[in-house]
Amino acid sequence: MTEPIIKVKGLHKYFGPLHVIRGVDLEVMPGEVVVIIGPSGGGKSTFLRCLNFLETPSAGIIEIDGIRIDAQEPISRHRKKIRQIRRRVGMVFQQFNLFPHMTALQNIIEAPVTVKGMKKEEAIAKAEELLSWVGLSEKRDEYPSRLSGGQQQRVAIARALAMEPKIMLFDEPTSALDPELIGEVVDVMERLANEGMTMVVVTHELHFARDVSDRVILMSDGVWAEEGPPDELFTNPKEERTRQFLAHIL
Amino acid sequence: MSQTEKFESPAQYKAVRLVWVLVAVTAVVSLLYAIQYYLGGPIRLAVVSQFDSIAVNPSGTLLAAGAQDGGVRVWEVPETLNTVGGGDFDVAQETPWPVRRLEGHTAPVIALAFTPDGAALLSVGSDGEVRRWADAQEPGEVLLTVGEPILQAAFDAGRTRLAVMGQDHVVQVWDVTTGQQLRTFGPTAGGRAVALSDDGTLVAAGDGVDVQVWEVESGQPVQRMVGYCEDQTYTTADACEDAEENWLGHVKEVTALAFSPDGQILVSGSEDTTIVFWDVGTAEALWSSAGHWAAVNSLTFHPDGKRVLSTGADNAVKTLRVPGGKSTATFVGTLAPVNDGLFGPQDGFISTVSNDGTMRVWETTNQYEIHLEWSQYGFQPTWGHTIAAWMLVSGLLGLVCLWGLRQGRLWSHLLTLLVFLVGPIVMLGLPFFEVLIYPLTLGVKLQIAWPILVLAGWYVILLIALTREPVALYYEAPLDAPLAEQLQASQRTLKLRFGIYSFAVWVFLLVLLFSVLRRFHLDVAFMGHYFGFIMKGAWTTLYISALSIALAIVLALLGALGRLSKNPIASGISGFYVSLIRGTPLLVQIFIWYLGLPQLGILLKAEVAGILALGVNYGAYMTEIFRAGIQAIGKGQHEAAYALGMSASQTFRRIVLPQAFRIVIPPIGNEFIAMMKDSSLVYVMGVWELTFRANKIGRQNFRAMETFIIAAAFYWILTVIFQLLQGKLEEYMARGERR
Repeated sequence: MTEPIIKVKGLHKYFGPLHVIRGVDLEVMPGEVVVIIGPSGGGKSTFLRCLNFLETPSAGIIEIDGIRIDAQEPISRHRKKIRQIRRRVGMVFQQFNLFPHMTALQNIIEAPVTVKGMKKEEAIAKAEELLSWVGLSEKRDEYPSRLSGGQQQRVAIARALAMEPKIMLFDEPTSALDPELIGEVVDVMERLANEGMTMVVVTHELHFARDVSDRVILMSDGVWAEEGPPDELFTNPKEERTRQFLAHIL
Repeated sequence: MSQTEKFESPAQYKAVRLVWVLVAVTAVVSLLYAIQYYLGGPIRLAVVSQFDSIAVNPSGTLLAAGAQDGGVRVWEVPETLNTVGGGDFDVAQETPWPVRRLEGHTAPVIALAFTPDGAALLSVGSDGEVRRWADAQEPGEVLLTVGEPILQAAFDAGRTRLAVMGQDHVVQVWDVTTGQQLRTFGPTAGGRAVALSDDGTLVAAGDGVDVQVWEVESGQPVQRMVGYCEDQTYTTADACEDAEENWLGHVKEVTALAFSPDGQILVSGSEDTTIVFWDVGTAEALWSSAGHWAAVNSLTFHPDGKRVLSTGADNAVKTLRVPGGKSTATFVGTLAPVNDGLFGPQDGFISTVSNDGTMRVWETTNQYEIHLEWSQYGFQPTWGHTIAAWMLVSGLLGLVCLWGLRQGRLWSHLLTLLVFLVGPIVMLGLPFFEVLIYPLTLGVKLQIAWPILVLAGWYVILLIALTREPVALYYEAPLDAPLAEQLQASQRTLKLRFGIYSFAVWVFLLVLLFSVLRRFHLDVAFMGHYFGFIMKGAWTTLYISALSIALAIVLALLGALGRLSKNPIASGISGFYVSLIRGTPLLVQIFIWYLGLPQLGILLKAEVAGILALGVNYGAYMTEIFRAGIQAIGKGQHEAAYALGMSASQTFRRIVLPQAFRIVIPPIGNEFIAMMKDSSLVYVMGVWELTFRANKIGRQNFRAMETFIIAAAFYWILTVIFQLLQGKLEEYMARGERR
């Protein structure tokens, strides 16, 4: 039997006195697509950012692809492990966060060259492949400021994929986009899911949740309010909290 | 198609037609003026006539000056001369002396002399005609004709013999009383100088850089003055100078010569600005003197043989002491090269004539100018030529403009504006402001400058007609063009017109600045002489600033990292550095570097110490700039890099720093510009940069104003050049930002 690629146990996160994540567990199998929805301020993004240690968890155990970190231990001891995790986990941000001083191509080859020590020609070949996969071959030499939001986000996805991650995290990837641009990004994410990528997605894009994901989790007040297959959760929610939330956004 | 069809209204047609007429009239009149000027026609601006020679009668009651127009002016000198000068005394308010003109010469009068009994005035024209004017009155009679254009002429004391240097460099000696030619010598190897001893027995002439002396009676060469090095092991002037020995002699053509009254000493002046006193008996150089900054134009011995008057192309007049050749006084204020001078008309005075068309009398105790006479009121001759050239060029350009204007072309509208706005500012502004500094009453100045004022008024009318709204509309937005194009065109021209106007303002202010500086009685020849020397400092200033800013950038980067660091030691060090350096004046720091390091046994070259002082100082200021630049890079950039697995140092080097640099480039540029000027402070260390050189030369020669103006000009030029480069750099750095 295959092991879960992500294992989270008893995760807590405090911001000062604020208890943002109040003990959650999660197991994600390879190739599984998990969507986390929920009201803002519920801790979704923070949870996602804990997975690659952009936020340091306050307590709990995170094990990703066999690399296990106990948040109780001082974080400085885990520097090396954290970088190993980050190399296995790609992330896409709400604000794209492309490097504005580099062209699309340079954005993509940056990490493979500096982090993995990949040869530049090799990285460029790979980057061109990725650009064509996200449908932006002709934009390879444009600076991010010359690209639309949707194009920027697709470059950001290509940039994350260039590190050949086993897991992709999406932190509200379509929230900063104009409505007519959302489709092109969701389309790329769908194709990625169909190719078998393990994905954890925080989003308000319910179509994606319903059509693509294997499991939907509703997070509210720092805990899982409800968890289940999308059909079940959307059509027949068990919890009152879930019904409330769905009533608001549908 | 009728003329008016292209116009919106008859009013617009009228306005545009007025511009056509004005431009046409301006162009045609300008061209007519230029053509008749160059063909020698009668209509021209009043310009002064340059004076080439001066003489005084033995009793000191008449002063005569020979002008380029061939007329000799003879002034009656009052019995008592004003001896108060300076302060409240205003040369412009002096009553002119009674004057008469002696007409007869058709060429410039290059030499004048009164006979010893004062009964007659002798004059020599550059065409070789020698005239005699009894009682210094018209009519004159022609004594003799040399038959050759001549460069210089000299009489003996008795006015019986005349030596001339021909344009062919042949020296001729004539007997004035008989009109017979006595001897010819040469040709020499060049040089325009010639002199006769007072007894008329010896004649001296410039022979290239040497001086040749002949005996008139025998026609034999008797002496040759050749330059030599004080340390005779060196045989060339260059070698001598390299060995820092004195070269006694000239290195350029000899331009002026004079014998002492006893005939024992010959003094020579040269294009190389030096004056040398020679012993006629031994050909030994007795003394040499370097007081002028340009060619020496004339040399005159005082009858007592103890003083020499020298006049120069540097607009300056000097008196030198014999023996010794030391300069005892300098007379400044003349606006152009001084061509001739003499001791007189009375004891305690000297008189000089100049290319600026003036004869000036000075008292020798305080070197005050006490009287001034003009050949005639007018502009300097250069301005006559300049304005004629302007008329020709603007006339031709005006025709081009007219052609374009008739076609309804936009460019012609702007070109017309440019030509008739900027052109007059320079071409009329410079002479106008120069007339304003003449030592004349305002009424006389206006009397000279009225043609410029009339012209300026005309141009103003032309410009007003040109910039009226219907005219501007006609050229900026042609009716038949689509609306979008019309709007674009008018946007573009508004921008361009703004550019032309602000350019014109710059030009006007430059002209004004230049004219104000002229008022300071700047010694232009001196500035020219030391321009190169000070310019070498510009390079030093530039490389010191560049290396200092490089050091400052490194320090600022380290400082900023320290300040942002979570390490208390790094943070403490950089905090202390910034506080200490920002809390003390730069000049004090420079002194501490300069005086303190040697105490520690560290001996640095002045340049190195200067670079350290400036770099460390600016590093502290720029630390804050870098800190702000680094902090301005958003958290998202760090997170994106971390999420890709980049380490903190990779993130800083590859992602944060390049973006921070782009942010700090403009403030760093400003710091560099500031530093270029602050680098002047290192002159206290003895670094040979602009300020040091300006200060050194300025102090040595009491011409600090001149040298600092040169230095200021260089700082300005460097700053302007750098600003242009900075703009380009910012454009390049901002390539990711382009929209």
